[in-house]
This record gives sequence, C-alpha cells and structure tokens, in this order.
Amino acid sequence: MGETRSILDIIDKSQVGPLHTAREWETKIVPPKIREKLKEHGLQNTYDSKNPVNSDNGLADEFWKAGYELALDLGLHCPTTERIIKFTDQELKSALMTSPSEISLGWGPDRRTVKTRKPEDSTVPLAAMSCLGMEVSEELFIPLFQSIAQYKIVDMLLGGVLKTVHGRHGKAKTPYETFKGKYEAVLMQEVLRRVGRPGMPTWGVEDSPTEYAQLGGYGVPGGYDPKHTIAIVLLPSPLKLDYTLLHKIVHALNCGAVAVEIGHWAMIGGYSGPPEGAALVAVAGLILECCAFGAINHSTVLDIRYLSNTSREALWATGVSRQAQTRNTHALTFGITSQVAGPVTDMLLYETACISMLDSVSGAVLEMGTRPAGCKYPDRGSGLESKFCAEVLKSTAGMKRSDVNEIVKTLLLKYEENMKYPPTGKTFTECYDTKTLKPTKEWQDLYDRVWKELADFGLQRYY
Amino acid sequence: MTQEIFDKLAKAVMDGDEDFAKNAAQEAINSNIEPIDAIKKGFSTGMAVIGEKFGRFEVFLPEVMLAADAMKAGIGVLRPHISEEQMAKQIKGKVVIGTVYGDIHDIGKNLVATMLEVAGYEVYDLGNDVEPKKFLEKVKEVTADIVAMSCLLTPSMYYQKDVIELLKEMDIRDKIWAIIGGSPITPDWTKDVGADGWGRHSDDAVGVANMLMENGSELPKPVIKGV
Repeated sequence: MGETRSILDIIDKSQVGPLHTAREWETKIVPPKIREKLKEHGLQNTYDSKNPVNSDNGLADEFWKAGYELALDLGLHCPTTERIIKFTDQELKSALMTSPSEISLGWGPDRRTVKTRKPEDSTVPLAAMSCLGMEVSEELFIPLFQSIAQYKIVDMLLGGVLKTVHGRHGKAKTPYETFKGKYEAVLMQEVLRRVGRPGMPTWGVEDSPTEYAQLGGYGVPGGYDPKHTIAIVLLPSPLKLDYTLLHKIVHALNCGAVAVEIGHWAMIGGYSGPPEGAALVAVAGLILECCAFGAINHSTVLDIRYLSNTSREALWATGVSRQAQTRNTHALTFGITSQVAGPVTDMLLYETACISMLDSVSGAVLEMGTRPAGCKYPDRGSGLESKFCAEVLKSTAGMKRSDVNEIVKTLLLKYEENMKYPPTGKTFTECYDTKTLKPTKEWQDLYDRVWKELADFGLQRYY
Repeated sequence: MTQEIFDKLAKAVMDGDEDFAKNAAQEAINSNIEPIDAIKKGFSTGMAVIGEKFGRFEVFLPEVMLAADAMKAGIGVLRPHISEEQMAKQIKGKVVIGTVYGDIHDIGKNLVATMLEVAGYEVYDLGNDVEPKKFLEKVKEVTADIVAMSCLLTPSMYYQKDVIELLKEMDIRDKIWAIIGGSPITPDWTKDVGADGWGRHSDDAVGVANMLMENGSELPKPVIKGV
C-alpha cells in the first residue's frame, strides 16, 4: 500500500506543482541554480583535465552536498503538464534511506545479486551487456545477442532495437510498437535458451520509445518476467519526468517488478553547462530518481560534442559524480559505456576500458553496455567488445583510483583526438562467424593486442 | 553614439536579456538607425560572439538559447520598421524544425535550432513528438525553405520518411529542402528516405543548410557532412 500511496503522490504533484514551460526550465531555472550551487560549494573550475579519474574524497563529498541541495531546490519537471514535481527534505531522505542496497534476480546458476559498492571496492561489479539502443536486423537479432550472452562473464542481458517485426517497421506509437514489446521478450528468451542460460537476468523492454512496448511486453504472459527482468525507465533528459515515463513506472509497479531502473545522461555543454555542472546534475538526478521509485539507477555524463562519455571531461564528471553517490548513499548506481568508435577498432576497446575502469573503481554496482559507434549504425556490434568490457570492469575491482587514473591518462592520449569523427568499424557479419559465433581472426588479434597493452600499463587480468 | 547602440544590441544578445534587447532595439529606432543595420551590426555581432564562445565551450547551450531568445525579442521590436523585402535579404532562410513523432528527446534538436539561429536563419521550432502533419502545416504557413527533422529513437525515424512523403503528396517537395539528423540517422538512411541533407554534428547541419540554400539545386543529393 505504501508504494501505491507514494506513486499517487508523485502523480498528484505533477498535476498541481509550480507551472513552468520546458524552455523556462532549461534556460532560466536549472542553469542559474546549478551555477549558484557550484559557487556556494566552491566547485567552480574543479574539473581537472590532468587527472580524469578523481581521487579526492572531499571533492566528491562536496558534490554530494551540493547535488542534494540542487535536488531539493529544483525537483523534476513534468513536460506533459509543464509542472514541477517538488520533493521535501523528508521525502528525499526517506527515498534514499529506503532505496534497496541489493537486488537478486534470475534463477539457477545464472541468478545474480546486485550489491551496493564504494569507491575502490573489491566487490566485483556485474556486467549487463547488449548493443544498447542499436538497430539490429531481425535475422541477426538472435545470433548477435547469442554472441554476447555466450560469454559466462556476462551476467545480465539487454536487447537491442529490432529493425523490423516480421518484416514490418516497428514505428513508435503505433500498435507495431505494442506488438514489438512482447516479440523482443520472446526473442531474448530464445537467445538465453540457445546459450544454455535460461535463468539469466534480463532488462526490458529495451526498445520501448513510448509506454506502448513496455505495456505490450513487460509482465504479460510469455513476455518479460517481472521477477527476473528489471524494468527500464530512461529519462530523456535529466531532471525531467513525463507521463510516458510515469506510465512505465506505474505499469512496472503494478506488475510487481523486481526493480525499476530509472536513469539519466547528464550532458556537458547542454543544460547542465560545464563538467562540474553535469556532475552536479548527475548527483541530483540519482536522488530524484530514487524518489520516483528508481530502485537501481543509471547515472552517467555525456559530452554534447560527441554524445559519448569517453571524452576526458565526461570521464572526470562521471567519476566524481559516481564517487559522490557511492560514498554517501547505499542506493544502487550503475554506469553505461557510450563509445564513438565501432567494432574491430582499437579505439573502441580503449574507450571501453576507460569508462569501465572508471565506473568500476568509482563504485558502480554494474556496468551496462556496450554502445559501439554510439549505436548509430545498424548491426555494428558484436559479443567481443561486451566480453572485453566485462573483463576489464571486473579486473579493476579493488584497484586504487590513482592507479586507474594513470592507465586512463595513457589510453586517452591514444584516441581523444579522433572523437569528433571516429572510425565506424565493422558490422556483426563482418567480424563474427554467425554460425560458430566466433570472432574473426582480425577482431580476436586486435582484442588480444589491446589486452596485452592494458597489462603492460598495469591492469592485472583476472578474467 | 551609433556604435554605442550597436554595442548595446550586441551585449543584450550576449547577456541573453530579452528586455534589454527590446529596449536597445527601441533606442536604435529612436536614434534613426536603420533597423537592418541594428540587426547586422548589433544583434548578429552578439550572436556571432556567442556562437564562437560555444565552439570553445566557454558558454553552453542554455546561454546560446537565451541569446537567441533575446535576439528574437529585439527583432520583434525592429520588424515593423523593416520591409518584407529587406527582411528576406537579411535572413538566410526559414527553417521549420522539430523532433519527430514518438520521440521526446530534444537536446540535439535544440542545439541545431539554436546554431541555425546563430547562423542567421529564421527558425520555427515545433518542439518534440511532432506529428508529420504538423510539420506540413507549419511549412505551408511560413513558406519555409528548409524542414529539419531530428530523431534519437530508432522506431521514430520512420516518421522522417512520412514527412517527406507528405511533402510529395502536397506537391511541395520540390519547393523545400528536407534535412535530417540525430543519433540513429545515417547517410544511408538519408538516401533511403529521399532527404536532401544530413550532418553528423550541429555545425555540420548548419553547413548542410548553407550549401542547400546557396546552390542546392546544383548539388548532388543528399548533401552529407561529417561522415
């Protein structure tokens, strides 16, 4: 009953809160408040380009304090009603206190428990892998995701965006979308059956641009099982919660979801401003998402110039905000890799290593990925980069931030100049044998070479 | 005195201050400054500075949006004093922009819209989750030169094609340039849907718009920038 009351409270607030247009919110309310908090807490110009992995606990804690105040002062904007959903200090504290510190899902040998972590924690984070947001041809969907799920180091699986549904385009907001929700779930179950891991935890509905696919595929007979599938609710912009997302949250709660994932991409250069502003928004975002029933929260910072979190500035902001979160709450916060280079390029692996190591050492409970070439190009993903991501992520557990910083600095120099116009790499069929599900020699050799480089730079390989 | 007013107009834009921009515009009119000069030597100068600062990451999207809002407010004061012919010469073109149906992401669209304004286009922003027919209605209403469609979610990108098909059905496809962009949008998709241009980044999108407006009819389509 408690949950019912609270979700209704949020809907109530979205109906009666202070009225502001989205443009006012984005230009006249959020940016000045961010500047005010950065100034009050002495956080302006704290971005450290020479040390992309923050090791300063005091700085992280100051970001937490400022982010908490930002969350309290701002709340969430509901674009549907153009009203602000504000929370009291008591509501924020209560949401953080009651947020779960662990979640178990899946069954049999593939059951997993997501547990809260701290910076430099030796607890091994989990790997939730996919070609996240990438359009995948219908005939390649099963083999491509098999190529990811076949690796035992991968703990959880997410789908991609089906290019067609029985040959039809799955246009958003049409009944095709509703149909596609369950179709995605059915295909994912087939992937898990084929790799012999039917109890592997999943996330869904991955391809749900509006609420329709989630209504059609989550919690329905034969669809995603709410006991073993985390419900995805991704905010289109930080600090915004519209009715599409509230429909998804209410539906997931109605289905008895094991957990609702709410997440954001704070954006350097966007409404959040500089790296320090984006870090602050990421902290506030997590707190507010806990209030909106996010039991596990995706938090990362993108760089508007590349729509990626592997630039020097984005890595720093992601790291310091994650450390602020993990040092000051037990709430489950996780990272997402969003690279710009495509498969069969060393740049993709360097980027993957940087963001995975950063998130691991900063206390992320899991890493979700990967997004080769920003998932811009259809079928341009494979299992090997997910395997690599999981291996690097887990091998980093227990390392010192200062040691990770040295490796990240070295890797950044290898790719950052190419971020604006990166190599797009190869498609799945060009880098994997779709029958044996083995990578081509070229891709395997490149992976081996980069792993050797990482070992030379000081990353102990445990997996 | 005249230069002082030009500086005020530029400053109003750089500060993103709508009231200041309106007052400075009125002062320009009261001082018998040619309204077109007030735009060119005042507001546009300020916008150019803001655009350069954004390129260097010295200011960010909200500041650029506020600058664009201030310029619009100031031009609103000047406009009654400018002939349609003069105004048409001043602007590079009219752009109707929006994020397509089923997609509520708008930061990329806002960025492109704002950079087009910085570059001298008159921009009509329809927001996000825009139904195809809404694009058509606005295009016809303002006699747009360019329709620009943004999209972040793959299942929504099919609506870009719908808009282009509607332009054909309404028999106005040959009177307007259609440009598209967004995370899942590629040069191949641009060709498939019969759009005229694609840019990877916001500055690429402005470049594509400029190329189409300057000599689009002579260029092979689609115009692609930033592969």
